[in-house]
Amino acid sequence: MKVVLAAAHRYPDLARLWFRSVARDLLPAFRSAGADVEILLFRDTTPEGFEPRTFPGATLLAPSFEALDAVEFYEAALERQGDVLFLLDPGVFVLDGEWVASLLGYFEDPTVAAVSLLPRTGPPDVLALLARRAVYRTLNAPVFAPSFEALERWPHAIYRRPGERAAMALRARGKKIVDAPPAPAPRLADFSAATAIRIARETYGGVLGPRFETLLAEKPDLAAGAYENLLLGALFRAVFGTPYAAASGPTPFAAPDEDTHLSGSATAEELRAALAAIRDQRAFRHLVASFERSNRALTWLAAREGLTRGALRVPLVLPRARTLEARVRAAARRFVGKS
Amino acid sequence: MADAPVLVLGEGELHQNETFGRGTVNRGAVLLDCTWDGGVFESGVMAGGLFRSGTFLGGVFWGGVWLGGTWTGGAWERGFGPDGKYHPRTVHP
Repeated sequence: MKVVLAAAHRYPDLARLWFRSVARDLLPAFRSAGADVEILLFRDTTPEGFEPRTFPGATLLAPSFEALDAVEFYEAALERQGDVLFLLDPGVFVLDGEWVASLLGYFEDPTVAAVSLLPRTGPPDVLALLARRAVYRTLNAPVFAPSFEALERWPHAIYRRPGERAAMALRARGKKIVDAPPAPAPRLADFSAATAIRIARETYGGVLGPRFETLLAEKPDLAAGAYENLLLGALFRAVFGTPYAAASGPTPFAAPDEDTHLSGSATAEELRAALAAIRDQRAFRHLVASFERSNRALTWLAAREGLTRGALRVPLVLPRARTLEARVRAAARRFVGKS
Repeated sequence: MADAPVLVLGEGELHQNETFGRGTVNRGAVLLDCTWDGGVFESGVMAGGLFRSGTFLGGVFWGGVWLGGTWTGGAWERGFGPDGKYHPRTVHP
């Protein structure tokens, strides 16, 4: 069986950390299971920042007429010869490669079109998906592209995430999209919100200036992404010894290290200020819960690097008293819900 | 003689979930999930939202839906056409 692993990365530092995990935890497991693996790494927008020596064995691709962006890259990857296309988000780290390799066994059932590694409430998207190539190729292109339906109902139109329409079409044909069963041990570390805030900062953070902090306080997804980068940044510095998520623009007055670390996402100070400004208690509780999930993911990922969470010295950003209150309220809610 | 704009959006401004009609000119503001209906988008960022009508002269279009209007310049990062289909980077309407 041949597996084509396809990932679209915009930021070389995240790609470096991600690839290190793939090479250590995933590739050996696939090979032990008898699978031949090809890695396609799409360097979205900044191909020159990716040093080929840090991605040994991977095929590095760049935007071209065949694949103008990440979505088109997924379509191109589907045309690559292979049995299974493994789409893996740049922020999703495999902790247990043997578990992922064992999921290939589902394809012995000819009615299985795909296995989704991350549980989703709706149809699975392309965050972490093992897709049977032959079946997906029977769909009309573009197979994985996102789309909108019922635009006449704007702003209540329906957004279909990348891969969602494909999953729906295949299910309508009687094919199975299997959700990987939940396991007691951690299998994946999900930091899939990490890239969006970096894109936002890069695209309009500069023109917004301090207003960007306001946005962090208003948009939970951005705050969650900022926190994920804070954690990944701590790990990155511990592993590689250099800043993470530095702003790509010129910073002529910045010190070589401290001032650039996380400047392309949100620094600890910026995130701390934004969190302190959140007045909506419910939104704050959800963020605390999201941060706790990310904390656990970091602990697992750091363990794969032989590091403890404590060694990473992650800066504290949540106000202590409010966090404690949010945790107590969440626990009380769970208790009441169960009784 | 063209009408003078009645509303000019400038750099440093952030607008979310608002609708801008004819007579609006964007000169650098960031619009998140807004509806643009008839004005002139000279520069700035339109992230998400709906471009219903008007003229896009410059700036960045990111992830929104293009229902109608005139595209004369700017950076199409990604978005969707009037049929809801995805348009990749640079493939503007």
